[in-house]
Amino acid sequence: MSVTAEQSETTRARVLEVRDLVVRFAGRGKGRRARAVRAVDGVSFDIEQGEILALVGESGCGKSTIALAVMRLLEPTSGRIISGGENLATLRGGALRQARRRIQMIFQDPFGSLNSRQTVFDTVAEPLVIHKLGATPEERRSMVMDALELAHLRPPERLAQSYPHELSGGQRQRVAIASAMVMRPELVIADEPVSMLDVSARAGILRLMMDLRDQLGTSYLFITHDLAVAWVVADRIAVVYLGRIVEIGPATRLVERPAHPYTAALLSVSSGDDVGPDGELIEALPGETPSASNVPEGCRFHPRCPRYIELGKPEQCRSVDPQLHVIRPRTTTNEDTSALSPHEAACHFSSEES
Amino acid sequence: MSLLEIDNLSVDYRVGTGSLRAVDHVSLRIEAGEALGVVGESGCGKTSLGLSVPMLLPGNATISSGSIKLADHELVGMNEAQLNRLRWTAVAFVFQGAMNALNPVQRVDRQILEAISAHDSHAAKEESSQRVLELLDLVGIAPARAKSYPHEFSGGMRQRAMIAMALACRPSLLIADEPTTALDVISQAQILALLSSLRRSEDLSVLMISHDLSAIKRVCDRIVVMYAGVVVETGTTEQVLGRRGESALAAHPYTQALIGAHPDLRGERVLAPGLAGHPPDLSKPITGCRFADRCPSAMSVCREIVPPTVTISEGHTASCHLLKKVGA
Repeated sequence: MSVTAEQSETTRARVLEVRDLVVRFAGRGKGRRARAVRAVDGVSFDIEQGEILALVGESGCGKSTIALAVMRLLEPTSGRIISGGENLATLRGGALRQARRRIQMIFQDPFGSLNSRQTVFDTVAEPLVIHKLGATPEERRSMVMDALELAHLRPPERLAQSYPHELSGGQRQRVAIASAMVMRPELVIADEPVSMLDVSARAGILRLMMDLRDQLGTSYLFITHDLAVAWVVADRIAVVYLGRIVEIGPATRLVERPAHPYTAALLSVSSGDDVGPDGELIEALPGETPSASNVPEGCRFHPRCPRYIELGKPEQCRSVDPQLHVIRPRTTTNEDTSALSPHEAACHFSSEES
Repeated sequence: MSLLEIDNLSVDYRVGTGSLRAVDHVSLRIEAGEALGVVGESGCGKTSLGLSVPMLLPGNATISSGSIKLADHELVGMNEAQLNRLRWTAVAFVFQGAMNALNPVQRVDRQILEAISAHDSHAAKEESSQRVLELLDLVGIAPARAKSYPHEFSGGMRQRAMIAMALACRPSLLIADEPTTALDVISQAQILALLSSLRRSEDLSVLMISHDLSAIKRVCDRIVVMYAGVVVETGTTEQVLGRRGESALAAHPYTQALIGAHPDLRGERVLAPGLAGHPPDLSKPITGCRFADRCPSAMSVCREIVPPTVTISEGHTASCHLLKKVGA
């Protein structure tokens, strides 16, 4: 990726830098048949303070694996994960535990992620206990109540005593948010936080995440399959295909002018633009995403790529693995830095803007 | 004569010692070749409505009123033998989560073959095998993949196989209940494109049931919006959702909330407020409008009197007190 250190003076503080992250799993089978699963295949990105970066992609593209690797809930094969001046990828034991205070995670399933035998109070207090925070029980109690209040769980005194089964899906996800926020993290990783909620509860949770960013300057790595939701919530969007970021840039820019043909296909099906002149739906992309244990040579997207066909199947697409390159550089002012971040795409035929 | 005519259909479920009316006097029509979408939240009665057409409601459900006519055959009160002759040949269905309904230990082509022979015992073996390949081709599964086991297929491929099976006996009506839920966006779009092209090539009428307004919009000519067991709005897709690139024309506050619930990439970049609260408990009596408790524009009359069904334009109706007021 082409974001370099000298550009950082025009930006806010970085809370996370991921460089060349690779996560491979051992393949099944023996000898030659055992092909490694390249779940994350060289991913780099930054998140600034108070910024929401969305990772958008289909299931199996590696977006959740990226999140788990950043949390060190699974071991990265290689790469650097820099937060607070430390490389989380190599930290061990107590140092890793310390570093983890800064990053908290919210999972997709608010029914599975809460302990059904614990009250809301105990759930939210648990991270404080683990990290030995809050000197007195009173102090701990007030930290928990503040977190419940932050997550709009009102009245906090009453909700603190309830059990998960007494709560709606939306309330449970607020409890998960409260137990993340009780640590006052710099960065929250939210993995499909609204996918399992009723339509009616979704907007409230997304709004809450955005409010917490505005109030406390919390940054988010927001993982979603839904481009439209990413567009509304995030400052920047990274589109992930088969273990790689294929396009990254300001959310509005990416939706207005997608540079990678995969982004364009996602956009056309998500916006309903995939309709022919006679009203019949046009298939936006043929076939299916290949397995991460069998990543195509050259550009990993070329077997399904409409642009590859249009251009008469150029040899380059079959032989050279395209890297992210700048489509529009960072605009250098000190204002809303996210909207002015560079727009990059990994396609041989996404040309630079003059 | 319409292909499907449902009149005043009510479906009751026995629950504990009481009962619950999941579908309450619903009427709808589907013309030959037409695709109708039924949209609503979970628990609104849309699945019960779909299951009642092939008479596949669970054991604790009964049809307590109304009539269902399919190509002029009255289905309510028909015996099992008669119904079995119509199932698959006149009406076929793809259920919610159908892609997990395939037999895991049998090859896909074999399962489709069985579906054909079960409903057409006279079919010659060779002819049926030919039909299997035709069907797989129709849904976009290459002949080389025909002998695969379901676990070798992705979710989208399994859903294609289920659609192939449903079309085995050339039904005139396909009922598809959440056919794309649980699929990825690109696979979803592929299945919707498939349904949309099958409508034309196979002269198929479709009753599509979904919580996803955008999926319905992409396939269906007309829309029925259900809330808590009743139809709150119906009209052509254009009447309810507007023409492409134009804003929606939905008249009912519930439809408007459903439309606003998902951001429109071609609209404004804003997070809509969403819809507070939950649908009412149908095992308890409700006075007035069922949506009143969640409605941003509820008036006192809404909690007292059931709203009238108002015709907004030809073919576009909605049941809401606000409309009456505007019209008066």
